[in-house]
Amino acid sequence: MKRKTLSWSTLLWLALVALSVQGCLGIGSKATTGKQVATGSNGQQVSVNQDVFKGKFYLTISGNLYVLSGNNTSQELVKTGNVSDPAVSPDGKWVAFIQSYKQYSDLAVVSTAGGSVRVLRSGNGKFYLNDGGFLHDTYYWYEQPLWSPDGTKILFLSDLEKEDWYTQTNEDAPMLDLQLFSVPFASPMDTPTDIAYAAYGDGGDRDPSYRPGHPDQIIYTHYTYDSVTETQQEIQLFMENPTTISAHPDTYYPGPPGGGFDPGIAITDTSSEIMEPAFSPDGSAIAYIKRGNTSMSLNVMPVPPATITQTPNDAATEKMAVQAFQTQSSLLLDQLYVEQPVWSPDGKQIAYYTYTNDTFDLWIVNVVYTAKTGKYSTQGSPIQVTSGGVDGASRPVWTN
Amino acid sequence: MQPATPGGDQPQEQSAAAGQIQPKRGMSLVLPPWPDARSLSVHETPPPVEQDTLKQPGVRQSDQMPIYAQGQPAAYSPGLVPGQFSPPVSSPAQGMFQGPVGPQAFVPPQNPIAPVGPRPATGALPGGPGFPGMNQVPANVGSAFVGLNTNMVSEPPNIFNPHRPPVVSGAAGGGSGDRGGRGRGDGPPRPSARKKHKKKRRVPIWSRVVIGVLLLLIVALGSGYWYYEANYAHALSSIVGQQVQLAPGEQNPNAGRTGDILSGPRINILLLGSDTDEKFDGTYIAQTDIVLTIDPASSTVGMLSIPRDFYLNVPGAGMHKLDEAYGLGGVDLSRRTIEDDFGIPINYYAWIGLDGFIKVINEVGGVDVDVLHPIVDDDYPDDVGSNANDPYAVKRLYLAPGPQHLDGPTALEYVRSRHADLVGDFGRSVRQQQVLSALKTKLSNPDIFNKLSAIANDMTGYLKTDMQLPDILKLMNFARSLDVNKINKLVLGPPYSSSGTAPAGGGDAGASVVFPDCAKIIPAISQMLDLGSSAVCNIQGDTGSNNGVASTASQTTTPLSDAVSSSQSNNTSLSTTVSNASATLGSGSSDLYGVSDLLDLLLMGVFESPDALQL
Repeated sequence: MKRKTLSWSTLLWLALVALSVQGCLGIGSKATTGKQVATGSNGQQVSVNQDVFKGKFYLTISGNLYVLSGNNTSQELVKTGNVSDPAVSPDGKWVAFIQSYKQYSDLAVVSTAGGSVRVLRSGNGKFYLNDGGFLHDTYYWYEQPLWSPDGTKILFLSDLEKEDWYTQTNEDAPMLDLQLFSVPFASPMDTPTDIAYAAYGDGGDRDPSYRPGHPDQIIYTHYTYDSVTETQQEIQLFMENPTTISAHPDTYYPGPPGGGFDPGIAITDTSSEIMEPAFSPDGSAIAYIKRGNTSMSLNVMPVPPATITQTPNDAATEKMAVQAFQTQSSLLLDQLYVEQPVWSPDGKQIAYYTYTNDTFDLWIVNVVYTAKTGKYSTQGSPIQVTSGGVDGASRPVWTN
Repeated sequence: MQPATPGGDQPQEQSAAAGQIQPKRGMSLVLPPWPDARSLSVHETPPPVEQDTLKQPGVRQSDQMPIYAQGQPAAYSPGLVPGQFSPPVSSPAQGMFQGPVGPQAFVPPQNPIAPVGPRPATGALPGGPGFPGMNQVPANVGSAFVGLNTNMVSEPPNIFNPHRPPVVSGAAGGGSGDRGGRGRGDGPPRPSARKKHKKKRRVPIWSRVVIGVLLLLIVALGSGYWYYEANYAHALSSIVGQQVQLAPGEQNPNAGRTGDILSGPRINILLLGSDTDEKFDGTYIAQTDIVLTIDPASSTVGMLSIPRDFYLNVPGAGMHKLDEAYGLGGVDLSRRTIEDDFGIPINYYAWIGLDGFIKVINEVGGVDVDVLHPIVDDDYPDDVGSNANDPYAVKRLYLAPGPQHLDGPTALEYVRSRHADLVGDFGRSVRQQQVLSALKTKLSNPDIFNKLSAIANDMTGYLKTDMQLPDILKLMNFARSLDVNKINKLVLGPPYSSSGTAPAGGGDAGASVVFPDCAKIIPAISQMLDLGSSAVCNIQGDTGSNNGVASTASQTTTPLSDAVSSSQSNNTSLSTTVSNASATLGSGSSDLYGVSDLLDLLLMGVFESPDALQL
């Protein structure tokens, strides 16, 4: 029996078919693990490794709100392409978030089960010329919502009072730097309550959060310039009692760098730029990001004594407030970009965004506390949760 | 086993008179007669050289056969099973070299197999141009070879012979020939042909190889030229060679220079940078004015940064800030201002608009940047997209801090905002450095090659120079050898100048300006640019109070880092960014073509200019 030999053309066609199949199946392309959950605005495929974490992550991908679940029920909650900074209510029923537009942003909520979006406050407005003929506006930004521990109030960053502080800032320009406000969830259009003030000229405050178990303590990142030359950027973590300003009307006010008078007290010094604090679930430690000259690092420090918020603007208190940072900080990891840390509900892991294959992705790392040294350290290698890219500037939430 | 004959692909039996080739089915082209068709001898196992000896008047390819035969004799031995080798006709490029060609034809050696059966179907091959075009290969050629039949394989001479008229004497379907349809017996053998051909070989092998190589080069260069013309020529022509008119009586600074840009004496290049956001009067201003001075003899480079707010005489326009010279008279007036006021001859210029870089950022898919602090601005120029023609449109900005991906428009917002921080232009300069450093990272990705054409087009209108492309290539090569630590940098900020208010009666009355301190400037620029007594400080309009003052004071140039640190000490963000942005300069071997280094050099000059650090 003669052996039948394939002709060259047949072989060529087979090769072409093989290549086509390979391309369709993605064989040989950059490996992605886990379940594909999203397609980014630039067409990238975002996958999540759902087997490596417990609970749920609420985060945004290309401006869309997703809940990534460790039990294989990930879903897209809001698909408007302009969403950022989700915050889950203490009862787990609502997700507050921001929807950004060209001139303003809205504070909105959606059920954690999905559904229609409800706008709590809209920053929409208009431009107008003031008496001097200068252009002003009634647009506002709302950023980074935060639920009060009892779920009755929503805090947010905003420039709501930008036209109110000319005298205090000594500037012939509105104070655009975002400050922290609060409104009742049940009546969000009520006049906001001032929670924390900003300094003029460096963008204002960021990253507010409550200390678990301590509704009288909040923490946030405070951006300002040095008070002497007004040229050196100082980024510090501030703590304060969120009721102090409202309890002492006409006492506190914002101002230029080194000016103003507010109840915030720095718990980190100015030797480095510190940002994005995240309380551990038991409220005993703070994870934070330190910006270095060529990289960023994830660190953990113990919480300073609770009494510091009772005596703000006191030299001795200010000195005591930074001691924990200066003496008990633990370096967990150092990379080109590390940001948005968040603790797992059980406090045994920290999730964060880092730069992987030219995209920002979610990773988690096990952390352990050594009582003997009072320091935190990592255990094992970090684990990648997403691949393909999430929104680096929008902080995630990790819930049960 | 007889392979099935592909319908219509196999040459049809030709029973017509010899010399007439039957057109292939569906082909309307009538082939010219094959003059020597019947002279082919039939050999069971012909030595390759015999193929070479076949003569066909007007067909020179017979001489090429030894090349194939010597190169791969075994591959063409008789008795090969179909499929053991593939006729190289799977692509038109290969097919175009096959078959009989005209007198000027050359059959390249990379085409050792010259199947003859289907080739006549092309019709245009015999006697045609040396390189039958790709389009002349019929669409069914490939399929014709798929059905390579045993007849062909059992005929080594025909397989080897590119000159044989393919279907002159028979076809697969049987014919008049004595070999079961091969049709090879129509003509009597010509035993003396071999000897004749040996004597009449016209072109030696080596010369044909040379010709072949030359033709390949021509094709390659032609393709390259076509690609360049199609993708880069338009863009580059609008970027390079953008000459400016000399003013009446103005001396050409390049008069007397011969050779390439780096073969003569010192050259000075004026680098102008515009971020194009002050266009409310319909013209750009040059926020950055840098004189890049290069001494080819010593391979040294200096960068003289002149503050944009220098209050000086703009020729023909009176007292103005230096940045306004560009708006008042373009490159020419900027150049003449530098020449007249400081005695610095400007040989060339380069102007860069920041918007061009932003377009490039969009083209590469955005950049990843650590936004240094929240960016807030209620008065940002909304002059892109649908509002491009409305210079008074504004929009509000809020950019969150921290590492993130920025698309082109957002990156533009990040670097252009003028109200986002207390330090004004200083902060903006730092942000510009960040984005441009990130852009350089993107451009270093090999994947960027496919976007080079689009990027070149993006730069159209945002990058201009009067240098020619060879000059730029020379500078690229020169930039590779530069040591960033040996670049002299002189910033004419304090103590070479002091801030003040423009006096009444001149341009910009009441505006914040910078007054040059001529006594300190003249000796500094004299030494840095080898100006000797030509250094002047003729900044006072018609008064010329300092004209001609010269000095031989010692070098007082200040390194960029020192200038920065003197005014902005301990600024972590700034030092980090400057460090990052300049880290790759002089990277040498890692930047094969010096593109990145040249970009570094330009960026250092235009966007890392400490004159932008003025508060």
